[in-house]
Amino acid sequence: MINCLLIKVSYNSRGVLSRSYRTLTAEEITIGRGAECTIHLPDPRLAMHHAVIKRLDDGQIHLMAVNGELEVEGAILKNIALTNGKQVMIGPYQLKVEPAPPDVNITVSLVLVHRLPDDFQDLKARTHEPLRGASAFKRRLSLWMVAFIALVFLALPLAQNLIPKLHDAMAELPAGFDRVWSPGHISNSHRHFGSQCFNCHEVLTQKVTDQACVNCHQNTEPHIADPALHKNVFKSTSLFSDGIRCAECHREHKAPYPLARQDNAMCVKCHGNIKAADAKTTLPNIQDFDHDHPDFKLTFITGATEKDFERIPQTETTRLIEKSGLKFPHDQHFGKVQGPNGILDVRELSCANCHHSEGKEMRFKAVSFKRDCFDCHKNQLEVGSSEAKLSVPHGAEQNVINTLKVQAPKEMLHYSESLKVGGCAYCHEVVETKKEDALPWRVAPLHINQDWFRKAHFNHASHRTQQCQSCHQVEASESSEDVAMPDRKSCLRCHSGNSPKPKRIASSCMTCHSFHSSHAAHDGALPKK
Amino acid sequence: MQHSNIFDYKKYRYFKLAVIVILIAFAAYLLFEPAVGHYGGSWLGYGLGTLSAIMVLWMAWYGVRKRRYRSRGATQGWLSAHIYLGTAMTVIVTLHSGFHFGINIHTLAYGLLLIVVTSGFFGNYAYMIYPRLMTENMGEDSLDGLLLRIAETDKLARQIALLMPDDINNAVARACRETYIGISLLEQLRGFQADCPSAQAVQQLTVLGNDLSLEQRKLYRDLYSIMVRRESLVKRVRQDLMYRARLGFWLYFHVPFTVALLVAMLAHILAVFFYW
Repeated sequence: MINCLLIKVSYNSRGVLSRSYRTLTAEEITIGRGAECTIHLPDPRLAMHHAVIKRLDDGQIHLMAVNGELEVEGAILKNIALTNGKQVMIGPYQLKVEPAPPDVNITVSLVLVHRLPDDFQDLKARTHEPLRGASAFKRRLSLWMVAFIALVFLALPLAQNLIPKLHDAMAELPAGFDRVWSPGHISNSHRHFGSQCFNCHEVLTQKVTDQACVNCHQNTEPHIADPALHKNVFKSTSLFSDGIRCAECHREHKAPYPLARQDNAMCVKCHGNIKAADAKTTLPNIQDFDHDHPDFKLTFITGATEKDFERIPQTETTRLIEKSGLKFPHDQHFGKVQGPNGILDVRELSCANCHHSEGKEMRFKAVSFKRDCFDCHKNQLEVGSSEAKLSVPHGAEQNVINTLKVQAPKEMLHYSESLKVGGCAYCHEVVETKKEDALPWRVAPLHINQDWFRKAHFNHASHRTQQCQSCHQVEASESSEDVAMPDRKSCLRCHSGNSPKPKRIASSCMTCHSFHSSHAAHDGALPKK
Repeated sequence: MQHSNIFDYKKYRYFKLAVIVILIAFAAYLLFEPAVGHYGGSWLGYGLGTLSAIMVLWMAWYGVRKRRYRSRGATQGWLSAHIYLGTAMTVIVTLHSGFHFGINIHTLAYGLLLIVVTSGFFGNYAYMIYPRLMTENMGEDSLDGLLLRIAETDKLARQIALLMPDDINNAVARACRETYIGISLLEQLRGFQADCPSAQAVQQLTVLGNDLSLEQRKLYRDLYSIMVRRESLVKRVRQDLMYRARLGFWLYFHVPFTVALLVAMLAHILAVFFYW
């Protein structure tokens, strides 16, 4: 039997302490929230049967845990001897062993130390605000981004421009801070130095000067050879400059578009009203290939030097005679033709048998005797009877005469005469020589034209879907004097001018012409017609 | 009955304006193509760029305007214009770029603009959907009202649980003490907590109610229904928090990226004129 004095300590609403005394007598004193417990503590934080006070065999009174936990100075214990002054936490209650009066075995006091919190306030504290700290977050994120952008995209590139030391240091690196200002891809030819902006943008806020271009392009000639005309054409167009800068037509950072301007406006600005640019010129005004482009002029070679040529309009048909020095009827070299080996040797010839294209633009190699003619025409180089045939080399007349002198000295004169009227003269013009000449006759020099349109460029490769004859009508040509170059009308069958037309593609000036070439300023040296 | 909202404000006035602006920009883009293709530095490019810069500033000004109660024009109209013209501006800026992109300040500014506009679309969507769902969820209640009701059920449940075995009491006590609402941003946005003690308590109660005395059984039924009601209340509070979080979350992007865009735009414009 334990005789226990229980002191319940409580505080009323004003915080005034009150103690209530009760004596409990039982074999063992149970503590818990269960109604059947000797000490009934209605708190959800206690177990139904939390602990028990009982006397052990040796007479000591102990507090023992049943279903709950007991805590002494932070340690969880199962079995606690209740000596005087001992303090034990039973859930939210504090149990303290007080000095016992003589008639009881033990005196304990119980205080509710941890009150249950107010449910609503507690729940509210556990309910977080939606997006707590949102404005602080937004402010921080804004500041960081602003700082980053201002530093990387504004401050560093500017500092590089304004602080010479930093500028020099960055120049050693593959790219400067100002690389982030680049508005587009740099053209291939400038890429090797293009990642360092200062190579062209020499001074901040100043447009790229011509000097920046000339630093590398030192040998570039002016676009127009005549200085006065050049000045007149490239005069001031902008409020801010005293002349057209290179960069106004050569636009960088636009790759893959070409560096130089390709539009008609630039050409038509002068050529639309050519007299305004050059009062002395005889050139006509041109606005559009479809409307007012003059008929083509063909370039005829008139002599041995580069300057010996004449440009004749295609309208003057009577003058379109090529004096190449070669006898070549195209009509006999087209389609089914008789071969050199008798009546059964029939050969099919087409343009490509003799005209071999080369290069990306499909220009044509010069026709060569050895490659293109020899197979059929080797007997033209043979002299003598069928038993004693003698072949002379194709080429210089001296070699032919020398061969005859060595191989058939007796027949030399006879053979030479037969070549003069037959063999060589079959294809070439043969001319008599003067008395003092070492040779009895000579072959007239050849002037075979390789470039009929010197002021334009033509890309055969882009026209490869077409038949050759659709532009070059040679099937009926009986003489090498005929010129089979297409005229403007035949171009206009597929091409229109500045704007596309039904079934005709738009073709600007730059489709066929180059701008006044700075690399070949001899443009101006062409005789003006 | 409410007659106009931000979308059909003044009979779609700003929608029409936006369509006209887009059409004009497209027509100009198709008609005036520079020889080297479209780019920001052509005259058309400068025009589109200036127009969009002004529009960006005007859009950003809306942030200031909506905080002022006394100002010209209805805020509703401003918002309507903000949405429609903001969309039109995105088209104009894209045309201004000429579809050239790279690793540089210019594309950065464009990217920031896209983030701002996209987050704006999300905000637009949120304000179209969530206010109605919020009303459906909350009914006549306020958030505090719901919390108060949860607190009351807490008290009731705890009182009944005092008479219940320890495991039931613990489950109830834990549910009451440890139910948090909207702990992290992710949970607020999802509106759902995987290991919610309130839901777990209801789960446990179904299992624990088997061996009870006859007296306890009656109380247990009460307790169970109280806890189920409590769980649904907690769910509603979470839902409400979710809607409010989603209504505000897009501004995490819309506002800071607008500020960043303004700086990037300044850098973009300065860079163009520093290196002509």
